[in-house]
Amino acid sequence: MLFTSIINGLLLGGMYAAVGVGFSLVWGVMNTVNLSHGAMIMLGAYTTYWMSQYIGVNPLWFVPVAMLVTLFIGYLLQKYVINLTMKSGTNMTLILSHGFNLFLVNAAYILWKGDYRSIQSPFSGQGLNLFGTTVPYSRLIVFVIAIIVAILLQLFLSRTKTGTAIRATAQNKDAAQLVGVNISRIYSITFAIGCGLAGVAGALMSTNFVVTPTFGDPFIGRAFAVAVLGGLGTVSGAVLGGLVLGLAETLGALAFGPSFQNAIAFAILVLVLVIRPQGLMGKKFF
Amino acid sequence: MLLQVKNLNFAYGDVQALWDINLEVGKGEVVALVGSNGAGKSTLLKNISGLLRPRKGSQIIFDGEDITNTTADVRVRKGIALVPEGRQLFAGLTIRENLMMGAFTRSDVKAIQEDLERIFALFPILEERQAQLAGTLSGGEQQMCAIARGLMSNPKLLMIDELSLGLAPVVVDRLMETIQTIHDNGVTVFLVEQDVQAAFQMSERGYVLETGHLVHSGNSRDLMEDEAIKKAYLGI
Repeated sequence: MLFTSIINGLLLGGMYAAVGVGFSLVWGVMNTVNLSHGAMIMLGAYTTYWMSQYIGVNPLWFVPVAMLVTLFIGYLLQKYVINLTMKSGTNMTLILSHGFNLFLVNAAYILWKGDYRSIQSPFSGQGLNLFGTTVPYSRLIVFVIAIIVAILLQLFLSRTKTGTAIRATAQNKDAAQLVGVNISRIYSITFAIGCGLAGVAGALMSTNFVVTPTFGDPFIGRAFAVAVLGGLGTVSGAVLGGLVLGLAETLGALAFGPSFQNAIAFAILVLVLVIRPQGLMGKKFF
Repeated sequence: MLLQVKNLNFAYGDVQALWDINLEVGKGEVVALVGSNGAGKSTLLKNISGLLRPRKGSQIIFDGEDITNTTADVRVRKGIALVPEGRQLFAGLTIRENLMMGAFTRSDVKAIQEDLERIFALFPILEERQAQLAGTLSGGEQQMCAIARGLMSNPKLLMIDELSLGLAPVVVDRLMETIQTIHDNGVTVFLVEQDVQAAFQMSERGYVLETGHLVHSGNSRDLMEDEAIKKAYLGI
């Protein structure tokens, strides 16, 4: 029972890592808490759902499509709307992105109704037998893709010129401008990547959960917890934060009953804020 | 003239910090701007580099082109580099990454590599520590890294804000020698300093800024002999 819970916790944690990594990046680099992250997750899920409805084949092939769709929407959203309020501080972008979340969720209600939609995973019912515990393939593959995406993001940030410019802008906005970085452009790119990652998370989760217009909303709180837990703007932190949160939720549910799941997650969040406010992987200089 | 500032006025909200500033820096010159704390030196540099926007009617001309309404990143591309007050390194990036960020606007890989080698020759300590995070350097090394980062953009004009701030005199002397070498290599230098003596020794011409007004200008040697300046700044 304990072993099963740990496996389930890690699998859930991989999903949370995917949910949180883009949110954490945007927050860490732009000091913007993007509450429309939930809507981007929802759009990623719907993109996957509709594509697999019309085209068939394995829905996981549509993960990149979902990413491109939300990446594009995120880019436009930042460049033409949020960018106008960047100078007015965190509260303004917080409220604005919350408004966009409401707008997109309700647009989804108008377009697609509130029907529960589910995607048949090609692996449904099958699983890997691990010491007597069945690990469903559909969840395992989500976990693996989430980790791969996180590694790719880390490579992008540490190895490419644009990635280095993103880190530089996060650390010192003025100095970044003084070496010739157009920070508005960096913000648009960062926000687009954050939204694209939300789209990936949505696409991955759409194969495991029922898709509705409010699909993404419960994950905003999780993304928040993952980002703070791991340390803002760090990829490794978001992955670790996701795993810790996933484990805490499943083990907490095992120990105290499922109704405590949310309470435990946020109790850990509070604990981290008190003991290690920079987050588990948060760096001194970040 | 490489840089011309005409009738520059700037205010932080309602508080005017710079009044009708007119100054020029010629190609190949070393020009010093001195003044005490709060005179507006850094504010002026931020206006020239584009981090701050002057009031209407102000004009900044660089290399024959009006750049008053351009953003900071565009000015870097045109050839202005600022080594800001307090170094402002990317503390969580390595020294090498900091230097490569300095070359952000360039895409000529080979020339960048050559410049990097030249800079490492100028500051051997940076080569030794290139994999170290910039935040772990000592004050003097950080200043070297900041100057090196500024040079990596291959600027026509290098502006240095408070080179001497928080550094031991012997370190300042060594850095001043390096600035001289950089100047000998054809870079125009605009030096902003509180250390009046060092600044005027280095430079050909100088300006004195007092509470937002340019009050003296001229040949550096003459300025050093000026009784009023001696009294106010050199404590003689």
